[in-house]
Amino acid sequence: MKAVTWFGTLKLSENGDVEECYLLEKDTEQLAQHMLLAVENEELPTHGLDLRELALACGFVELDEDYDVLLREICIKAAKRQISMTDTDDKRIIQAVEAMDDVDKAANELSERLTEWYGVYFPELELTAESMARFVARFGSRENVPEDHNMFSKASSSMGAELSLVDEDLLRNFATNLCGIYDTRKNLEQYIMANMGAVAPNLTNIAGAPLGARLISLAGGLKKLAAFPSSTVQVIGANNALFKHLRSRAPSPKHGVIFNHPFIKGAPWWQRGKIARALAAKISLAVRMDAYGGKLDPSIKVNLERKVESIRKAHPEPPKKQSTKVTQPGPGRAGGRPAKKRGGQKKGGMNKGSKNTDDRSGGRPA
Amino acid sequence: MKVEQLSDGIFEVIIDDRKILSTHNLYPGHSVYGERLMDVDGVEYRQWDPHRSKLGAMVLKGFEIPIEYDSHVLYLGAASGTTVSHVSDILTDGLVYAVEFSPRTMRDLIKLCDQRPNIIPILADANQPRSYAHIVETVDVIFQDVAQPNQAEIAAINSKYFLEEDGHLMLSIKSRSIDTVASPKKVFKDEVKKLEGDFGVEFEVLQRKELDPFHEDHLGVLARMFVEDEA
Repeated sequence: MKAVTWFGTLKLSENGDVEECYLLEKDTEQLAQHMLLAVENEELPTHGLDLRELALACGFVELDEDYDVLLREICIKAAKRQISMTDTDDKRIIQAVEAMDDVDKAANELSERLTEWYGVYFPELELTAESMARFVARFGSRENVPEDHNMFSKASSSMGAELSLVDEDLLRNFATNLCGIYDTRKNLEQYIMANMGAVAPNLTNIAGAPLGARLISLAGGLKKLAAFPSSTVQVIGANNALFKHLRSRAPSPKHGVIFNHPFIKGAPWWQRGKIARALAAKISLAVRMDAYGGKLDPSIKVNLERKVESIRKAHPEPPKKQSTKVTQPGPGRAGGRPAKKRGGQKKGGMNKGSKNTDDRSGGRPA
Repeated sequence: MKVEQLSDGIFEVIIDDRKILSTHNLYPGHSVYGERLMDVDGVEYRQWDPHRSKLGAMVLKGFEIPIEYDSHVLYLGAASGTTVSHVSDILTDGLVYAVEFSPRTMRDLIKLCDQRPNIIPILADANQPRSYAHIVETVDVIFQDVAQPNQAEIAAINSKYFLEEDGHLMLSIKSRSIDTVASPKKVFKDEVKKLEGDFGVEFEVLQRKELDPFHEDHLGVLARMFVEDEA
């Protein structure tokens, strides 16, 4: 039997004795390279070997300590190399998506603070978020608003307090930083738009760059997303609703983040579940092509559009309720769900379910 | 301050009636994850937080720890090295092979390896023992803490490859990774049963205890691999 080990290739007899050995040179760079390549090798040991004994028997090393020291050095080298190779395109997209979420959070918080703070000095200013930050960064005190600006009359008759120079500096600096955060957000968005086409052409074609990037990020990578069944793709991002469904009587979520796709968002509530299923199926298909080196295939999108069209035609009217209970149609409700499936309608489980319907499409941003 | 030894390399430092689980610091003056360092008669001890380490919790739950000064240990699911650092403290004359699959946590683990001479990092999938069969020798103890749905299978196939005859397996089973919905008690029962016979390796379970209050829904298992009877 032949066996590849980290220090060389061995030929072993039936009872495990070494017949021949082809040892590698004791060069750490080469050994590390060999260690990484060996993973692909067909002749890796099929069962565990006492490698230390074998290395001593072959004369690769003379002492136990030498074995430890050498193996440790090579393993660290090999692992470092593997780590440096893990920065792939889809990982960069994930970083960008997550950075965008962080930036959004920070921008919201800071702009709320700015609204509160600047409101003391110019309460009539009806700007919000980014436009407000730009305004404060540009003018500072309301006394600096020029006559031809559309805020001039409000600024000159404001009931706001006087703004001291020190405070003005502080506020202006704060607003300038906030503007920088908004700029960063735009850059990130552009980066995702520009790169998604290369990372996942088919996914981008069907779902669009932002949604596609979000899906990759939630799955943790393009390959991982490709390995998901499409039923999982359908509900990614609706974790709370899904686990509630699994644990209790709550209805299953119809869609996770894919809700943001115009096909679902723009559909009436009774078609959404069906379209979500079709869309998730095609997304899975597209991602698998992308992950395994396929080129852009426009036919997936054409087929999806056809399918969605047929769903629209087949279900033009909302289904009739079988239950006498009046239900509010809406994205969060399982409209037209047969009442018979809910055995214990009068018990706690049902009430709980209907109270928290908002949670059902958990991936939808507020 | 007094020190009591619980087993090889594992101590309890007693300060004002409080017993603090700890190990000898192999790399004095340095704390790995912000834990407390304690000097007793010129010897530095490192606090071992059982809330952050399954192995630490197993010690306090009364498990017989099979790791000795000169053991060779295969550690599956090393993560960023919180527990591995304590295993490394114990193994003054031994070696630990730390297998971890995530490149992100491996980054932290490598920093630890750079400081300590007895940790060998391996970036590989514990589901595929063959992918590191050319690196890992036969070991005395396997410790496993992976959050995978097939935890028993991973433990069994790795034991088959690398565990010596009569070697010990220490396993932390996380029920939430196997089934988020089912009751942990049932998951534990099924998983231990699978371990005992489903994968062509037989184990004798020596001890099993849940790891609460340190870790919710985790079961600690100590088992010895049966030697196959040739006759």
